[in-house]
Amino acid sequence: MALLEIERIDASYGHVRALRGVSLRVEQGEIVALIGSNGAGKTTTLRTVSGLVRPSGGRIVFGGRDITRTRPSDIVKLGIGHAPEGRRLFPRLTVYDNLLMGAFTRRDRAGIEEDLERVYTLFPRIRERRTQIAGTLSGGEQQMLAVGRALMARPRLLMLDEPSLGLAPLLQDTIFRTLVEINAQGIPVLLVEQNANRALEIAHRAYVLETGSIVMEGTGQELLASEEVQRAYLGM
Amino acid sequence: MSEVSERAVPGRGLRGRVQRIDWHDRNTLAYVVLFGLAIVFPGLVQFATGGNGTYLVSTAADAGVYVLLALGLNVVVGFAGLLDLGYAAFFAIGAYTYAMLASNRLAVTPLHHAVHIPFWLLLLVAVFVAALFGALLGAPTLRLRGDYLAIVTLGFGEIVPRVFRNLATWTGGVNGIPALDVPTLPAWITGPWAGTPLAVVRDFQFIDPTAFYVLMVALLVVIVVLINNLQRSRLGRAWMAIREDEVAAAAMGINTVTTKLLAFAIGASFSGFAGCFYGAKLSLVSPENFSFVVSVTILLMVVLGGMGNIPGVMMGALAIYVIDFYVLTNLPAWTSGAANALGLGFLNQQQGDWPGLGDETQRLIYLVFGLILVCTMLLRPQGLLPSRVRQQELAQASTQESLADVESA
Repeated sequence: MALLEIERIDASYGHVRALRGVSLRVEQGEIVALIGSNGAGKTTTLRTVSGLVRPSGGRIVFGGRDITRTRPSDIVKLGIGHAPEGRRLFPRLTVYDNLLMGAFTRRDRAGIEEDLERVYTLFPRIRERRTQIAGTLSGGEQQMLAVGRALMARPRLLMLDEPSLGLAPLLQDTIFRTLVEINAQGIPVLLVEQNANRALEIAHRAYVLETGSIVMEGTGQELLASEEVQRAYLGM
Repeated sequence: MSEVSERAVPGRGLRGRVQRIDWHDRNTLAYVVLFGLAIVFPGLVQFATGGNGTYLVSTAADAGVYVLLALGLNVVVGFAGLLDLGYAAFFAIGAYTYAMLASNRLAVTPLHHAVHIPFWLLLLVAVFVAALFGALLGAPTLRLRGDYLAIVTLGFGEIVPRVFRNLATWTGGVNGIPALDVPTLPAWITGPWAGTPLAVVRDFQFIDPTAFYVLMVALLVVIVVLINNLQRSRLGRAWMAIREDEVAAAAMGINTVTTKLLAFAIGASFSGFAGCFYGAKLSLVSPENFSFVVSVTILLMVVLGGMGNIPGVMMGALAIYVIDFYVLTNLPAWTSGAANALGLGFLNQQQGDWPGLGDETQRLIYLVFGLILVCTMLLRPQGLLPSRVRQQELAQASTQESLADVESA
């Protein structure tokens, strides 16, 4: 059984249908990319998984447990780490305090210290900036902090929403390289990206979302090679 | 790495704590000054006034009530970032809890039986009753944010005193409830600060304002320690996260519903505590004492003192209290006195539209108050003694745009 299984979920904001019967799954050890244009429902999909948006239909199963109606705080405790859209750091707290917030649900001090060290090793820049106020970091550093903070919950699944948004190409490289590294440490990643090219390169499998529905799925390589994807999302 | 791990694993025990006190920290300094002032105040006042300063000590005890209220509202507004404009409602609930359960009032209600529960027990009861109402108010308002929340709390603040006024069968209506029980203790130490030789008094009755003052200082010390611990606790960090960004807080695994409810309930409980003390000291409660102005005054104390910072809020409360209840009350007498002293006595004569300098000042009292507030907020928008985060917030607001430019470049 897949680690995360989303089965035909619907979701809407008021009268606007955002998702129509979206189904996808993430297996242990995978990087799964969810690509699509603006407003396709990528962010909403992640938000239904983390409980921030209630689906009006369908089912979400994580680690064999139905979490469709579970509270966001409990979903984090079950092991889903979410770096939300727009980074959503605590801009007036220090980098260190932001990271500690990420470990809010945990009470094992030793483990938290260990993960702090792991994040610092993954992002040496974050270690350098640990006493700095998060809002004063550069865009790239903020993104690293957002990923690091999500890791501090020691998640069994890491969900990232547009981690490359607004970053210079060089910084995007760093972020994607780190994602592969995190994945190599055994953490499955569900990645939402507008930068389809980059996302498909590192993804084991990927889904294409269009106006609230999955229109295509395959391995990262398959989708990279697909003419439709190339035309619509890769600008070729 | 060393300083980081120290913060992550703070040493336990009193000794560790004392060793970690940073004597150069502004907050530590503020605590030392506040506590020192509180200790010497009664003696100093009696000395300066030649033994006639009891009313000032009494006023100081009343100021303590407002410090307590400001500390409680600071939990809601400063820690959790929820704007509450009806905080006086919980103050009223605390005061009426004491008034109903520690007087003959219930004898003339359909209950026909007076209840006299000791003050000390009622302090706890008032805390729980106020907390309960805090949670009751919190529950339906949790989905609201910012302005909407403020409006609902405003409504609540209007409703509660009105209920107490109109429920005349039980509460005595506009007349309020007089002749409340005097708190007693089996033993109490009195001394020169109360104008008597040092002695232990048996079966002590709290009638002397100085005794109320001493009690208030003792309660405040306990409560400040309590709130400091609260701020540093897991709950305190959860409040901070919610204040900063509620969605992000939820994504961190913080149960935003419970956390906000607790902010309301705990904030309200301090107000209930203060209300109980207030009722006991004044020996009278009436619905007029808990009007909207009281809520606004407490909010002013929090904002002006430095939202979120405990000693700052205490200083703000004292500053506003002194201005509101001492400076402004005495200002008309001072101005007419000054006019006489300067040989400008004619200014005090009533003439045509001119009511005399003293009365004219009286008319302009709220203008003066407003001016003081506006000037303070212009000169020190962060408050008298702001929290580090709040300071950051203001510094950032002015540089945010330029930062965004740098990022996109």
